[in-house]
Amino acid sequence: MDFKEKVLQVIAEVCEDDVVKEEHDLDIFEAGLIDSFATVELLVQFEEQLDINVPITEFDRDTWNTPNAIVDRLNELK
Amino acid sequence: MKLLTQIAQHAARNPEQIAFRTEDEVLNYRVLWDRSSRLASLIHTTQPERQTPVVVYGHMGMDMPISFLACVQAGHPYIPVDISIPMERVRLIVEKSGAGLVINTTDSMLDFDNVTVLDVQGLQLEQEELISDGYWVKPDEVFYIIYTSGSTGNPKGVQIAAANLQSFTDWMTDDFPLGQGKVFLNQAPFSFDLSVMDFYPALQSGGTIHALEKAVTNKPKIMFENLSRSGLQIWTSTPSFVQMCFPNPDFNQKMLPELEVFLFCGEVLPLAVAKELKERFPRARIFNTYGPTEATVAVTSIEITEDLLAKEKALPVGYPKSDMSILVVDDSGNPLPEGEKGELILAGPSVSKGYLGEPLLTENAFGMVNGMNAYRTGDAGIIRDGLVYCQGRLDYQIKLHGYRMELEEIEFHLNQSEYIKAAIIIPYAPSEEIEYLIAAVVPGDHKFEKEYQLTAAIRKDLALRLPAYMIPRKFTYHTAIPMTMNGKADRKKMKEEVFA
Repeated sequence: MDFKEKVLQVIAEVCEDDVVKEEHDLDIFEAGLIDSFATVELLVQFEEQLDINVPITEFDRDTWNTPNAIVDRLNELK
Repeated sequence: MKLLTQIAQHAARNPEQIAFRTEDEVLNYRVLWDRSSRLASLIHTTQPERQTPVVVYGHMGMDMPISFLACVQAGHPYIPVDISIPMERVRLIVEKSGAGLVINTTDSMLDFDNVTVLDVQGLQLEQEELISDGYWVKPDEVFYIIYTSGSTGNPKGVQIAAANLQSFTDWMTDDFPLGQGKVFLNQAPFSFDLSVMDFYPALQSGGTIHALEKAVTNKPKIMFENLSRSGLQIWTSTPSFVQMCFPNPDFNQKMLPELEVFLFCGEVLPLAVAKELKERFPRARIFNTYGPTEATVAVTSIEITEDLLAKEKALPVGYPKSDMSILVVDDSGNPLPEGEKGELILAGPSVSKGYLGEPLLTENAFGMVNGMNAYRTGDAGIIRDGLVYCQGRLDYQIKLHGYRMELEEIEFHLNQSEYIKAAIIIPYAPSEEIEYLIAAVVPGDHKFEKEYQLTAAIRKDLALRLPAYMIPRKFTYHTAIPMTMNGKADRKKMKEEVFA
């Protein structure tokens, strides 16, 4: 699995929906797939499964809103 | 009414003191009192019939507190409706409540059949008179009405009288170390009565309400910057909200050096959360409270001390408010001896007069015990050494991150969807709290190729009628809903299937 697939897998697990693997530009907040509580879980899983620490203060739902955007942000933090 | 008199006194003696502030707005006691008293006159002229409800629509702008106080000064109860509530549900509330007026504090256009909308943003009120205290809401009149989820698919309005609220506010300011002129956190939207726990105690004691809007809590970076400069002294939130702050290691006494008290209500306070808070805020005191909207926010309290944390496996919700009696009864309503589990019954001056315009629902849930108004909570619990412990529900009402909802109401709306033949909701609760909801669905005929497309269509449908917090996070699809011997949906079997 390449990095992008791994990230999409983590997002799909937290969102409990495989749509994120298919529609990479879907706004996951607008679609109701994730809320503030699940956001915290998403950051925990990035740390556990991908070994990338995203401080909660870095997380902004305007720039972390789609699977593609999340992959880009994680690439910047890697 | 003492509460209103006190606010008027603060405005006279300490006019520049800040009553309410958000990320970009500040409202002092002088403007709060002056504007609300003038707006009250305008409300009175347009709403001559006393006690007709007024819907106040908005989020946390300063026109919200102004409008609340204006309604009650004019003798009308207000119904707070947050912008997170979908328009179809807002319409239902406006219609069912018989509201005579909707006060719009937002800049969106609102339109209702046969009900006037008053846009208050930037409204000129200087021409209006200051209303006299003769019009204020009387003790047995309704002060606010909060709509909560109803199992039949429609929300129901809990009527809280001025005397109910005064009793609650006095208990807060007398029995908790809230002092005078402190800075209180308001995290909950006003349509959720947790907000009442900080709002009126703060105003009665001349304090400042520091409101965190959705736009702030949605962005952790902005929220923590906001908290760092807040000077917060009294923290009021759901346990879920404080838990959401924990991933930031800087969330501690250093970030909020003046914090004295944590007040929790709205859902179970997990032991682990209380322990972690004690470590991060060694100087602050923590209080757990419990109560349904029908008994005015909260009716039990206890300070969570190190001793208690070491002794208990699950935290008690506390001792009854001194003027309240709490009974535990069996399923035929007979009182049980101390230490036995049953339904919690609350009796005393905190109990509401019932649901607006719903005599049957009111009769089922309310009654009299020893000459006092009483409410059957539907909460299972026990009392041991005078301490109340909650142990879940007797029906399908749940709390998710502090929001109260009826699973049957969500199911009702799911079943309305053209894509669904049948559906039931299964709460996912790996430990003591519910983390999210799962909809187990038997789909109807549809043209979608993939399940996620179907899910997206159902979500879109639901969002028209239910607030976001009531929409299930996960959808699973099945060929049939298992039934019990007597023909009811077998929730237990369905759950096994979902988690198989």
